[in-house]
Amino acid sequence: MVTIIDRTLTSFDTAGMSARDLNHFCDLLFSCGVTKIELTPDLLARLGFPSSAASLRKWLGDRSFFLTRIFPISLDSSGMTKPQPLWKLEPNDLVEKNIPVSKLKSALSPHQKIRITGLEDLMNRDYPTIFKALLGSGAQTLDLCPSNHHHCAAAIALEWLLAGGTSISCAFANHHNLAPLEEVLMSLKLHQPDAFSGDLSVLSELCGLYEKCSGQPVAKMKAIIGADIFKVESGIHVDGVLKNPHTYEPFNPQTVGNQREIVLGKHSGRKSLLYKLNDPGLSEPTVHSILKQIKSRCTQLGRNLSDLELQTLASEVQNDKKIYC
Amino acid sequence: MIKKYIVDTTLRDGEQSPGIAFTVREKVTIAKSLDALGVTRIEAGTPAIGKEECRAFEKIKLACQNAQIIGWNRMNRSDISQSIACGADIIHVCVPASDLLIREKLRQSRSQVLETLSTCAAAIHTANRELTIGLEDASRADWDFVIQLIETARDLGATTLRFSDTVGIMSPSLCKATISQIPANIDIEVHMHNDLGMAVANSIQGLRSGAKYADSTLFGIGERAGNCNLEHLLIATQGQLDFGISLDELQWRQADLKSIIYKNELLYA
Repeated sequence: MVTIIDRTLTSFDTAGMSARDLNHFCDLLFSCGVTKIELTPDLLARLGFPSSAASLRKWLGDRSFFLTRIFPISLDSSGMTKPQPLWKLEPNDLVEKNIPVSKLKSALSPHQKIRITGLEDLMNRDYPTIFKALLGSGAQTLDLCPSNHHHCAAAIALEWLLAGGTSISCAFANHHNLAPLEEVLMSLKLHQPDAFSGDLSVLSELCGLYEKCSGQPVAKMKAIIGADIFKVESGIHVDGVLKNPHTYEPFNPQTVGNQREIVLGKHSGRKSLLYKLNDPGLSEPTVHSILKQIKSRCTQLGRNLSDLELQTLASEVQNDKKIYC
Repeated sequence: MIKKYIVDTTLRDGEQSPGIAFTVREKVTIAKSLDALGVTRIEAGTPAIGKEECRAFEKIKLACQNAQIIGWNRMNRSDISQSIACGADIIHVCVPASDLLIREKLRQSRSQVLETLSTCAAAIHTANRELTIGLEDASRADWDFVIQLIETARDLGATTLRFSDTVGIMSPSLCKATISQIPANIDIEVHMHNDLGMAVANSIQGLRSGAKYADSTLFGIGERAGNCNLEHLLIATQGQLDFGISLDELQWRQADLKSIIYKNELLYA
């Protein structure tokens, strides 16, 4: 089974993050398929380990640690009640190495627990051979934590797992320029479904919590979690999506807690307009006039029209055909 | 460094991004900047959209010194006639390649697709224009049919074959394996979408596996999660692939164009 480590909270300004938000953030990470959450010792007290927090802190020292989940065996023979998973702490004893590809092989020692960082330029190299050498190094644990400086980290992560790698480190929404967790999870779901069992429908909620706690907005067109990625405007795509959504969607929007939306803009056609207005009685000249106005206004505004704006515009055109036709 | 070429589709696929819309003047400004930057081919839009789009095409054609201007078309004679009429150098015909699109969107059969494509190609040759053919949704298409379409494209005199990962689901290794299998007797162009965040990586693998052209857009704008981001592609291939485009120049030109592309700051967030 693949180990997916999330490192978002290690480089997060968590000072203002409430214990409730922190615990909820961790809950959502586990729900979407993360195996281990890497945390810094200062977060320990806010994670609900009250009685032993002081001794745990001493045990961990300055090391970061991993939060994992264990599932207690149910004592209820009827199987009606499932026990809640418990959180468990593990020290992070991965030795981090950031070394050039040319020196990778000589830098790895057998029986070590190693995390390799960097490697942003792997897509320009013979990465299958590099992965083969890494996997044959004899390391006890080999975690890859590719940097996203070349915008290829999710691809490197996926290729690593497809090649036989068993541990990958990421961070949510490209945080700290690491492989975007949500991209790695969805890629795994699509390309290696047997190795994935998370529920990605929580990503939308996770995204909202991330924005709230980090103060950083997630780009509207960010892969997997962007708010606008399932908005469809162009006539050609609307036509396809209305016939069968699968034509122009890589996965069902609900899979990631999002929903499809037909929006009107410069590239809309009559099918989109009729769909939005749901008024089969509209004459062709009226449809043409409304579309013309929509295109003009959207080009001027640089955005789509809201449903209210559309209704107002359609009424204006219908009430004053002399002006618009 | 290995020489490769950029086909910029900011003005076509990029503009299809919800909320993004350009006036004629803005289209010309963007095209002039891309031309000055060294972009080889500019996909300037879809003339079939209407008169404004055709007007933009004519002005872009006059404004650009070096880049070839592509008119994008559905597999439709009427659309193609409009692209020819507004002076596009290259007439690109988009051919749905997957059975899903052929069946659900076109409501046609494979043989009808091949037949219509031949008719379209004949019209383009009659007008003495360069023909390029794009395989829409090729990454989900049956491989035997993809090969049949590629052979047909070559036989019909297409100079370039665009392989589109329309819904952005490919992995780099799949992209490498697929592009490597395409026969070498036609120029290959890769058109990668970013739904899994892999458009740059997939474009690199496509180019390293024999593709001559990569499609990209400014800021990576495009349907859903966008297209291959030109700036990111240049960053990722520095010292490896030569597109004849300076990264520094792209960055300052792109910064200058930002207020045109994102009239609404909320979209850029």
